[in-house]
Amino acid sequence: MRIAKIGFVGAMMWLGAALAPAQEGHPLVGAWHGNWGVTDKDRNDITVVMMWDGKEITGMINPGLDAGKLQKASLNPANWTVHFEADMKDRSGAMVHITADGKLEDLTNVRRSLSGTWVQGPVKGDFRIKRDN
Amino acid sequence: MSKRRSVVMNRWSVVIVAVAALAFGLVLASVSSAQETPGPQAKGKGKKGKAKGPSMPAPRNKDGRVTLGPGAGQTGFWGGGGSITGRNGASLPTNLTADEVPLQPWARALWQVRQKDGQKDDPHARCLPPGGPRQFQTPNGFEFIEEPDRKRITIVFGGGPRSWRFIYLDGRKLPPNDEDRIPTYFGYSSGHWDGDVLTVESEGYNEKFWFVRGGLPHTDALHLTERFSRPDYDTLKYEVTVNDPKAYTRPWDGGFTVPWTYTNWDGFPGGELQEYLCQDNERDWERLR
Repeated sequence: MRIAKIGFVGAMMWLGAALAPAQEGHPLVGAWHGNWGVTDKDRNDITVVMMWDGKEITGMINPGLDAGKLQKASLNPANWTVHFEADMKDRSGAMVHITADGKLEDLTNVRRSLSGTWVQGPVKGDFRIKRDN
Repeated sequence: MSKRRSVVMNRWSVVIVAVAALAFGLVLASVSSAQETPGPQAKGKGKKGKAKGPSMPAPRNKDGRVTLGPGAGQTGFWGGGGSITGRNGASLPTNLTADEVPLQPWARALWQVRQKDGQKDDPHARCLPPGGPRQFQTPNGFEFIEEPDRKRITIVFGGGPRSWRFIYLDGRKLPPNDEDRIPTYFGYSSGHWDGDVLTVESEGYNEKFWFVRGGLPHTDALHLTERFSRPDYDTLKYEVTVNDPKAYTRPWDGGFTVPWTYTNWDGFPGGELQEYLCQDNERDWERLR
């Protein structure tokens, strides 16, 4: 079990590194860093990794042992809005459902950003993430 | 002054003006001639930078196969290609228009954004290497160097960041798409000659560049099948099949022709690639921001 977890973490780290070069293809592909929270002072760091296989957007939130696999991820290119959901553990270790709806900004910049609403369990806040180089 | 003397002086004035005009004309002709291309064709009316008269046949090697370089004892290189979309100018009449290109919805929307904002984020403006068809659309030309001993062709580019590309002709397979394959700007290329046509398969591209001028998107799934032919001495025909299932709904074809350049890129005689480095005094990036 421990070996499987280490292998999973290694795979996630490799995945992040492999995705780093992408920048001019599908605008969601890559690793994104930022935070979410209810107020400007109470923020929680998040990392979102997204991939595109030609039909579906896949990926995860916070790659690692407690990563949450992206579900129902979609991009509406008519207005560059993004939706994704995930189930993952919160700070207390309890499983919570996450629903994020955001909008891409500065689309053609490699350091484009995605921001919008973040609903984690019963808590509603906002999120801001920026794509890595 | 007498009337007779005045008439003589007027005649001399006419002669002097005529001689001056003739001399000026000769100088102009000589300058114009120096700017015209000293190509293999000696006769006919030519334009600056282009060969005069009908083109000669494409040069061939000792085995009788067409070559993509200069003929024996000649100089020159290729430069000034068209677009793989649209049908104007040097573009092939069979090309799709940009609207007909089978883009996936996200790719079409992204391409439209790039058009709307004046292509300000074109990586080429930051001197990043242009892979795919873009490499043949870059100013300052390019040259094929055939290396039969090494079973490869090297293409050297006089523009952009002064880069080169290898096309292997030793029958090797393209590297498998796994973690050991590092995505690159020019991809991995393996080619072979079908008679007088050089066919090249390439993949393994990164997503750091625009593969055509204008910014049609591609992904790391891009696979190109390129066909190079030389219908006559002065014409390179470039045809490409674009297969990228992550960005397009189906494979599609395009191409253009590229003229042989007899002069240096600046119009002076020589027919040699000159030193040019995009990074030297590059100002586009700041201007485009």
